Amino acid sequence: MTMAALLEARGVTVSIDGTEIVREADLDLAAGELVAIVGPNGAGKSTLVRAVAGLQRPSAGAVSWSGRDLRRMRGRELARARAFVPQRMPVPAGVSVREAVTIGRSALLRPLGRMTGADREGIDRAIGRAGVDAFAERPLATLSGGELQRVQIAIGLAQEAPVLIADEPTSQLDLGAAIDVAGLLRRLVDEGLGALIVVHDLALAAAVADRVVVVHDGRTEATGAPATVLDRERLTRVWGADAHLSAADGRTALHVAWLGRGTEKGHFFKPSVRGGR
Amino acid sequence: MALVVALVVATGASLALGAVKLPIGEVIDILLGRGGSAPNHQIVEALRLPRTVEALAVGAALGVAGAVLQGALANPLASPDVIGVTGGAGFGAILILIAFPAQIALVPVAALCFGLLAAALVFGFAWSGRNRGSTGKIVLAGIAMLSLFTAATTGLLASFPERAPSALFFIAGGLTNAGWEGLRTTWPYFAVGGLLAALLIRPLDRLALGDDVAASLGSRPQLIRLGAGISAALLAAAAAAIAGLLGFLGLVVPHVVRMAGGTSSQTFVVPASAIGGAALLAGADTLARTVRAPIELPVGPFMVILGVPVFLWLLRKAV
Repeated sequence: MTMAALLEARGVTVSIDGTEIVREADLDLAAGELVAIVGPNGAGKSTLVRAVAGLQRPSAGAVSWSGRDLRRMRGRELARARAFVPQRMPVPAGVSVREAVTIGRSALLRPLGRMTGADREGIDRAIGRAGVDAFAERPLATLSGGELQRVQIAIGLAQEAPVLIADEPTSQLDLGAAIDVAGLLRRLVDEGLGALIVVHDLALAAAVADRVVVVHDGRTEATGAPATVLDRERLTRVWGADAHLSAADGRTALHVAWLGRGTEKGHFFKPSVRGGR
Repeated sequence: MALVVALVVATGASLALGAVKLPIGEVIDILLGRGGSAPNHQIVEALRLPRTVEALAVGAALGVAGAVLQGALANPLASPDVIGVTGGAGFGAILILIAFPAQIALVPVAALCFGLLAAALVFGFAWSGRNRGSTGKIVLAGIAMLSLFTAATTGLLASFPERAPSALFFIAGGLTNAGWEGLRTTWPYFAVGGLLAALLIRPLDRLALGDDVAASLGSRPQLIRLGAGISAALLAAAAAAIAGLLGFLGLVVPHVVRMAGGTSSQTFVVPASAIGGAALLAGADTLARTVRAPIELPVGPFMVILGVPVFLWLLRKAV
């Protein structure tokens, strides 16, 4: 993880309608690294990743991709620097998976430029890497949520950018589909991609991420290995939760006192305790 | 493929049929400069050919304007009406016809200018303040502008009821036998609008996957919408200058093309709308001047009356 920095963001501040959503946030990403952005609702996670991706204009701070200033990047150069995968894209009627990935690839073409054989190979490669070959010819409208998320990742891969940014890629998916997408992202990172992922599920973040960045009140308040950063104290202070993370044999769990203070023995609650709150 | 056949048939029919029917062989001979009788020469070269070319250009322009706007605004109701062009063009033309009837030659110019002015106002308002360039803002500003210009037009007509009949043909929409006059002033608008639309095909496909994906792919969603608006405004204003208000065509042709083609991919929809619009208007114009020849029916209402049942039938079959 000591490879060259793909992303370097310093002091990023984003104001929307006069309200500071992100305040002097810092963010780094290297090749072959998966960084999870975590934090409560409204903390500014999505706004932060949108700002570093160039989808939202920061009011202050500096963002660079492989050393190049984001503000100077346009069009194809930007498409080649990073891919942004939204939570759920709209699905145009009658457009197949392959056509959607082709649209992704078109970002690398000049205006009115034609697709070459290399472009078609790139499309096939993206379809293969995202594991959507089995339904590549089906219309987008017929896909399940998990399948659609993989197609969105395939569209991003077709850009051939070294970084994939995903905003809550698993939060609308069932358990199986979430495992699928998380596994796919981890595999892509192991193959050398850098990935920046906004997640709500802390257990999932702890399982797949090399590093987590905690965003709280618009600030990046901590970064590091999941086990160190997501300690009891922080879970209480940032999320207001009485909870702790556990990890063993590649399994992670978040133990939460869902209904308030849990007991030492791990009972969820006793009626009398609950009534006495 | 079927569209191209329809285009060729409609063009051939438009050249050959009319108050005087000509055999298609003679039409081809005349066009290739290989003879034909002198009066027929006159009919084809001075009347039929310019009128057919106008029908093709106007039909293609309106089809493309509708396709580009529906794509850019992600709204099935979008048409040149929605960005105010039709309302503005109608007002400009009626203003000349009613207030300055002596200056009738200025009708196309006024239609063009006011059509573009209305679109400029719509985009000016939609691109100011918060959320600038959002679909909702463009559509709402457009509807407001359409209402404003329609009210102004109605006011003009009501104030000078004795002159209203001269305006009817423009409002109904239709082609005339004015030779090359109309195209001579409007062709640059068709050309620029068409070129811009061609450049927008790929960006519009990206936009169909949402603003975020489009931005991920290096496009700027607001810029795409602005470009689409300018392209549609140029095309629709030029079309209105030549053939009056044929808004229905711009709304319906892209839908028919999408339903018939089974895809909303712009690489297909934009060129197919151009071909389909051209074929439809050339065909409808031929019918409008032959069914009751030598009386010419206004092609606008005629096309709508024939077109709506077909459209509804397709709509019923579509998902």
